[in-house]
Amino acid sequence: MTWYIAVFGFYMVFLIWSCLQSLKNVESMSDFTTGGHRMGLWIGVGTSVATWVSVASVMGVPGYLYSSGVAAVIGWVAGWFFGTALIPLVAYKVRRPKTPARTFPEYVQMRYEPFKKSSHLRTLVAALMLIGYFVFTHLQVVGFGIVFSTITGIDYKIAIFVFLLFLLFTSIGGFWSVAVTDTVNTVLIVLGVVLGAGAVLAATGGLENIYHTLSTTTSPTIEGGESLSSGVLLSPVGTFGLGALFSIFISNSMGAAVSPHWVTRMLAPKSVKVAIMQMVLSVVVLIAIFLPLIVIGLGAKTLIPSIPAGQTTDYIMPIVIMEYAHPLVGALTLVALCAAAVSTANSMLLHCGTSLYNDIYKNIFPDKKISENTERKQLRYCIFALGILAVISAINPPVLLAMGFTYVYGGFGAAFFFVVYLGLYWKRMNRLGAYANIVLGSIVYVAAKVMGATNPFIIALAVAFVGVIIAVFATKKPPVEAYEPYFEVDISPSTKKVIARIQNSGMDQEDYSKPTAVGEFQNRTNR
Amino acid sequence: MIVAFSIWLFTILFSIGFGTYLCYRIEKSGVKRWGASGKLFK
Repeated sequence: MTWYIAVFGFYMVFLIWSCLQSLKNVESMSDFTTGGHRMGLWIGVGTSVATWVSVASVMGVPGYLYSSGVAAVIGWVAGWFFGTALIPLVAYKVRRPKTPARTFPEYVQMRYEPFKKSSHLRTLVAALMLIGYFVFTHLQVVGFGIVFSTITGIDYKIAIFVFLLFLLFTSIGGFWSVAVTDTVNTVLIVLGVVLGAGAVLAATGGLENIYHTLSTTTSPTIEGGESLSSGVLLSPVGTFGLGALFSIFISNSMGAAVSPHWVTRMLAPKSVKVAIMQMVLSVVVLIAIFLPLIVIGLGAKTLIPSIPAGQTTDYIMPIVIMEYAHPLVGALTLVALCAAAVSTANSMLLHCGTSLYNDIYKNIFPDKKISENTERKQLRYCIFALGILAVISAINPPVLLAMGFTYVYGGFGAAFFFVVYLGLYWKRMNRLGAYANIVLGSIVYVAAKVMGATNPFIIALAVAFVGVIIAVFATKKPPVEAYEPYFEVDISPSTKKVIARIQNSGMDQEDYSKPTAVGEFQNRTNR
Repeated sequence: MIVAFSIWLFTILFSIGFGTYLCYRIEKSGVKRWGASGKLFK
């Protein structure tokens, strides 16, 4: 227990220090939300990896590997890696403008409703984001509660409230606080899972023993449950079935690639190339995290054939580490799990807060004059209030961690896939097309899910695609100011004015109330 | 098992290959603001 308390203590001191440093650095709303679009490569890799690696990966994935076998590698690990491969396609366009959007809803307004003083589309997107990220934050709180209660023996319902302390110190500092703590969290996560995998390998007697168990075991996942078929844990479809596994893979990959937090992450680096390289290097680091997680998840079946009744598979990681690792290794690994929960939750809360404050409140009341200092203060209150709500909502967790992420990624993919990709790669994509994608995609996804469809994401995406095509060709082309920043190196003065107005740079509203037919500025020399 | 790990390996290789291609496109554009530096991975 001493090791656990000491390692936790050091981690807490670091978080407080990092928060105080970030509070000194924050200068503007742009700094607070995207770090002022000046993030370098290595801190970008750190923050991207830490955001990727949440409790869904470090606890949920070993849980599914334990219960469903290697099929979870296809559904979650390969799904997320494929999603990571598609994110640079977003970065390639969305980071092009000299003054990029600061948040995903702001991108939506710039691309689809650039002349609206109060953009309903932006409010709609922000509202959907608020729901999705609230669920993500809730899942991190659940994961943190499981780890903290396993370590300390404190009741789960009390343990989740400790999370508020972590959130307080990481979220209120804004983007730089999140980015800096994320980078250290990444180092902790890599170290923790590698040591944890070493402990599991030593306890199982090596990979051969793990393979033998997987090929022969029939032990039920939960004590007293249904026995598994022999060899099912080595089957590529595992206990899922092909249709369900494909659905999980496609939701995790296509949905993750257009998730608003990844679009926002791609706005933060100092250039397009840094954004792309950040994701490529993140993949390399992620291999070092997921390989040990796979060893832990599959090895756990050899060490603990069935989980005690009353617990879910999300508990397998902390149970195995507590039981089979040296206390120092155990402390580092479990702090790594908490780091994963904290690093994802603070990032998600930042998205929740900025959606609620910047994209809903300020968008509905655009004429309210508030100083930047007051704005930041109010945004911090918003973030902390959302954190408290997330903790309260986690008292009775309804779904498994990894599957909760898949549901939200599926929803985001259904609602935003064409808004992002067609918006960035097709000039003709317009406002009505965006509405069609968001409304049809989200409604059909929820309806298909409720009706028990095997692949709700594909159904929603197909319906939304038909709706988008009809809407786009039945209505007018978008104004040049809407798409120019993503297709041209230099933009017209009218587009610059529109961007400045949307980002509240104090321009005169009357000057740019009408769209122009074509861009006024085609100079390509100033590169 | 081989199928599962092969699919994962494919996604890793695709990710690195596709990212490299996009970096090449940026270099080809020559736009410094986008990150073109004369070297593929700089």
